[in-house]
Amino acid sequence: MAAVTYLEAIRQAIWEEMERDSRVFVLGEDVAIYGGAFKVTEGFIHKFGMERVVDTPISEMAIASAAYGASLTGLRPVAEFQFMDFISSAHSQIVQILAKSNWRWGAPAPLVLRGPSGGGVSGGPFHSQNPEMFYVHTPGLKVIAPATARDAKGLMKSAIRDNNPVLFFEHKFLYRRVKEELPQEDYTIEIGKARVHREGRDLSVITYGAMLYTAQEAADLLAKEDIQLEIIDLRTLLPLDREAIRRTTEKTNRVLVLHEDTKTGGIAGEIAAIINEEAFDALDAPIARIAALDAPVPFSPPLEKAFLPQVGDVVREARRLVKY
Amino acid sequence: MPTRKSESSPSAPEVKQPHTNGSKAANAPAVKRPQPPIGKNPWGIPDWRLEQPPFHIESDWSGEEYRYKVVGDTNTPVPPLRPSKYLSKEQTLEIYRYMIINRQMEAALESMYKQSKVIGGLYLSLGQEATSVASAYALDRDDWLGPMIRNQGSMVVRGYEPSSAMMQYMAKGTSPTKGRDSGSHYGDPKKLNVIAPISHLGDSIGVLSGVALGARLQGREIACLAYIGDGGQSTGPTYEGFNFAAVRKLGVVLVVEHNSWAYSTPVELQFACKDLADRAIGYGVPGVIVDGTDANQVYDATHEAVERAHRGEGASIIEAKLMRMKGHAMHDAAVYVPSAVKEYWQRRDPIVRMEQYLKETGWMTEAQMKEVHAEVQRYMDQEREQAEAAPMPSPEEAGTDVYFDNGVDIPVKYGEVRVKQSNVGRKLSESSAPGHYK
Repeated sequence: MAAVTYLEAIRQAIWEEMERDSRVFVLGEDVAIYGGAFKVTEGFIHKFGMERVVDTPISEMAIASAAYGASLTGLRPVAEFQFMDFISSAHSQIVQILAKSNWRWGAPAPLVLRGPSGGGVSGGPFHSQNPEMFYVHTPGLKVIAPATARDAKGLMKSAIRDNNPVLFFEHKFLYRRVKEELPQEDYTIEIGKARVHREGRDLSVITYGAMLYTAQEAADLLAKEDIQLEIIDLRTLLPLDREAIRRTTEKTNRVLVLHEDTKTGGIAGEIAAIINEEAFDALDAPIARIAALDAPVPFSPPLEKAFLPQVGDVVREARRLVKY
Repeated sequence: MPTRKSESSPSAPEVKQPHTNGSKAANAPAVKRPQPPIGKNPWGIPDWRLEQPPFHIESDWSGEEYRYKVVGDTNTPVPPLRPSKYLSKEQTLEIYRYMIINRQMEAALESMYKQSKVIGGLYLSLGQEATSVASAYALDRDDWLGPMIRNQGSMVVRGYEPSSAMMQYMAKGTSPTKGRDSGSHYGDPKKLNVIAPISHLGDSIGVLSGVALGARLQGREIACLAYIGDGGQSTGPTYEGFNFAAVRKLGVVLVVEHNSWAYSTPVELQFACKDLADRAIGYGVPGVIVDGTDANQVYDATHEAVERAHRGEGASIIEAKLMRMKGHAMHDAAVYVPSAVKEYWQRRDPIVRMEQYLKETGWMTEAQMKEVHAEVQRYMDQEREQAEAAPMPSPEEAGTDVYFDNGVDIPVKYGEVRVKQSNVGRKLSESSAPGHYK
């Protein structure tokens, strides 16, 4: 069995769900004939027809609200934002209409809004952002950000089958860089559950998305000094897996939260608050945060490297915390 | 309880639904009346009105005060209603009664507001009843409605009791939103097909485009009626949502309620085109201008747009020119509106104009009209009593229902998804094309 990329895993998930359930359809800019800017829906129109693979005008507001409207008729739209940076153009529709729908008027909205987020590809300030926290702050939504091909496929299937609006933040840096063999059978991964990516005893690194691999590299380096990192991949940001956060804190007694999103208002602050509420007595060191600079994402490689958290940052902070 | 509607329309289906199948039930009018010719505006947009107000508003700075002044004549005579091409006598009488319900439920709401029974603001539609009622009346049961804050009359036509709006305004626990949202912000995706509006203007238009798209995937061409105001049409979602409908030929019927004032801002400061229906040209859809105080014009234009939607021919714009006779909300006395303009539109009260039409056609006597008013008043008193007696919500419900249960199946509304072109046997092959970024 051949290993498949993160991108292929997402393609397979949507394809298989469309095969399994005729209520599922995709819409977005350039998704049909062109197959999407990143080719996630390449070939879909030939299999499923033009009614179920819908090219839209460049209108993020219309994409979000039309997906919602279709969901009101019982369909399960999967809408693509060409880049998750453009989700801000549909912010009002998402937080005002979709998120409040079931609570306000008993209208469930089973839909997925998905697209590539994240930096590391010199995409500049409008093709590299991590806008997930705007939505983590919005009750009524679910927010997913997978780091592995296996999780991407299983979580995408769960997102499509979920009865609520789900925002699915793919990481474009990972699209063709990570590969793994996937289970042959139909499988899903439960939304709202974190995963222990690597067991360790000295320090927990809680992270998600592409930073999982930064944490992993740091863990490999630190293992040579006999510092054993435990790595928690959150996978879902809303709802957060409070239990997994508590469990790892009680196990290693030291926590470092690592994310690619900017620091102020990033999820590290929320995780620190959860640890404060759930496992304060277990801490042997202050909670550390490593995140992107509080600045827009720069374009030029040396600037972007300075902006994004690096392996060296994790190694340095880990050494400090372990000695604390 | 008095009956909600007459079931006397001969071709109407035998259903006990609270609202009629207005569009489909259209049949030949009892009396064929001659149709005055239809004019055109400078851009070729059909203008069905029998008069064009020969005045406009200008900003004026005088006596160290800023105000709006009227330029032109506000004393022109009131024309009769344009005879309907489609409405039967029975349907006309039904629309008439709905308009009275619309007005009396708002009179009741105003009285409740003054008794401090209404929580928050109250948004009334005095003068707009013909547009709300006659447009909603043109929809079939499978069609959808996207109301705005003043369209409580449309919602009654769709099947809501007036007590729903009253309970909403009083924040009752038994209101359609269980006290979670206010005013006309309620809807029903299951039976009545009404989108619960949000305060952000224009947002329902894209939603209704999606509803029409969803229905099409299920093999149905439906009409989705969205309202927008002369102020609301300035928003981005209006453009994106309606353009999407236009491009995909989705059956969105956009009724632009040009009620002349966006809160306190006159249309002169809202857009530079002459008629909002002109924008139909830019969208590539048919547009039409009607007199929004003439229920016959509103119905006929909406009926034609709805029929067009049902044929799968796409979206339409109807600009209804009318006047918001009250302020933006109850707190607003609308002192910015020049009194001559108020008086001009007072003489064009949609209910009074309809009554004149009913007299001219001989379809109703004055005594019969009085009886309709009295019957609706009795009905409204009951509705009010019931709404006022309803309980407030229990505090535990503030944070429930944020998410919908994953164990419950959400059914399709119109049936199986039907796709014309597809290749079932095709397998997924790995993408080899370059992506946007490496």
